[in-house]
Amino acid sequence: MNLSSRMVIVLTSVGLISGSFLASVGLLTKERIALNRQQETEAAIVTVVPGTTNSQIVYEEEGFTVYEGKEDNGNLAGFAIYASGTGFQGKITLMYGTDSSMTKIKFLTIIEQRETPGLGSKITDVEAFLRYWENKDMSSSLTLHKPAASSPEELAPTEVNTITGATISSEKVLEIVNLSLERLRNLKKEGKLSSEEQDAS
Amino acid sequence: MPAKSIRAEYLKGLWQENPVFRQLLGMCPTLAVTGAVINGIAMGLATSFVLIFSSLVISSIKKLIPSQVRIACYVVIIATFVTMADRFLAAFFLPISKSLGPYVPLIVVNCIILGRQEAFSSKNSVGRSLIDALGMSSGFVLALLILSSIREILGSGTFLGHQVMGAWFKPWLIMIFPSGAFITLGILLAIALVIESKAKQRR
Repeated sequence: MNLSSRMVIVLTSVGLISGSFLASVGLLTKERIALNRQQETEAAIVTVVPGTTNSQIVYEEEGFTVYEGKEDNGNLAGFAIYASGTGFQGKITLMYGTDSSMTKIKFLTIIEQRETPGLGSKITDVEAFLRYWENKDMSSSLTLHKPAASSPEELAPTEVNTITGATISSEKVLEIVNLSLERLRNLKKEGKLSSEEQDAS
Repeated sequence: MPAKSIRAEYLKGLWQENPVFRQLLGMCPTLAVTGAVINGIAMGLATSFVLIFSSLVISSIKKLIPSQVRIACYVVIIATFVTMADRFLAAFFLPISKSLGPYVPLIVVNCIILGRQEAFSSKNSVGRSLIDALGMSSGFVLALLILSSIREILGSGTFLGHQVMGAWFKPWLIMIFPSGAFITLGILLAIALVIESKAKQRR
């Protein structure tokens, strides 16, 4: 057998064997990864809209989903908004919850991020970042408080905190939230989110 | 090449040919993920998995691979194991997979792995390649552990997430930054060199 055909055969078979291994690993882990993702979303809804026992999608488009969270007795607990956008290094996916009348952001949580480990990844830290997002006014765009405040009391209702050393990541999260707030306000104006209307239909 | 004892073959990875401190290989993950101990350990173990299995496969099929396409074959095999590790972490160790972010797929280009295939597994028996890979992996994990311990303790005042420094301690933010990684690595390399030259004098 000459050299070039040997090279072709070896490379092709290495590729084929590797490919089939990967295909089976992909199949084996696919369900588990999808399950993880679903559990994560459900857990995130409960985190951002406390008291939710039952949630359903009320509006969905690419990279933006609105869930309605209901309590055990059927009362509306609030809405959970899932939004994603570009961060400093990769995609950031987050979720925040509102009260039932959509006037305030109750809690924010980060679902997925690829920010610099140890720096930008602090956007997932409750102490350093997330607790500064509680009870924020949703009627206008939020702004960033620079330099970083040391306690949530120092911030105005429309201000959120910066992480020291990760200004860009903080800005990106703010950008994603502000963009989704705008979408949300438009949807509300068009009446696409009102749950009464849904009940009637 | 004089045959080394199995013990020596393993131990050389820990010190004499330590991938980080002596060979200066695999600097990307070494510098990037060592801000926290848990990330350092996870990266070390994921890299070890890829290194050990790639060495096993490559040393067992080394005679079949024409030397002109050996690098391409090594890269395909390494990438296969890296993807397996990535999927496995995402399925069963979600928090770790999330904190390592893009650095798990980047194990593909870690030069320790390709370096050991080219320098060792392609020339030695399966058994010796396994011992070599185990030694190099231990050396790499050890190096990441030392580096990440120093950086996490000084940079955040914690070890594996537990507070170890008292309330008086103000974390050195620089240790979390890339610059802190370079400074720590530089000092550790200097210490390693001093120890090595002292050991040589004694010999």
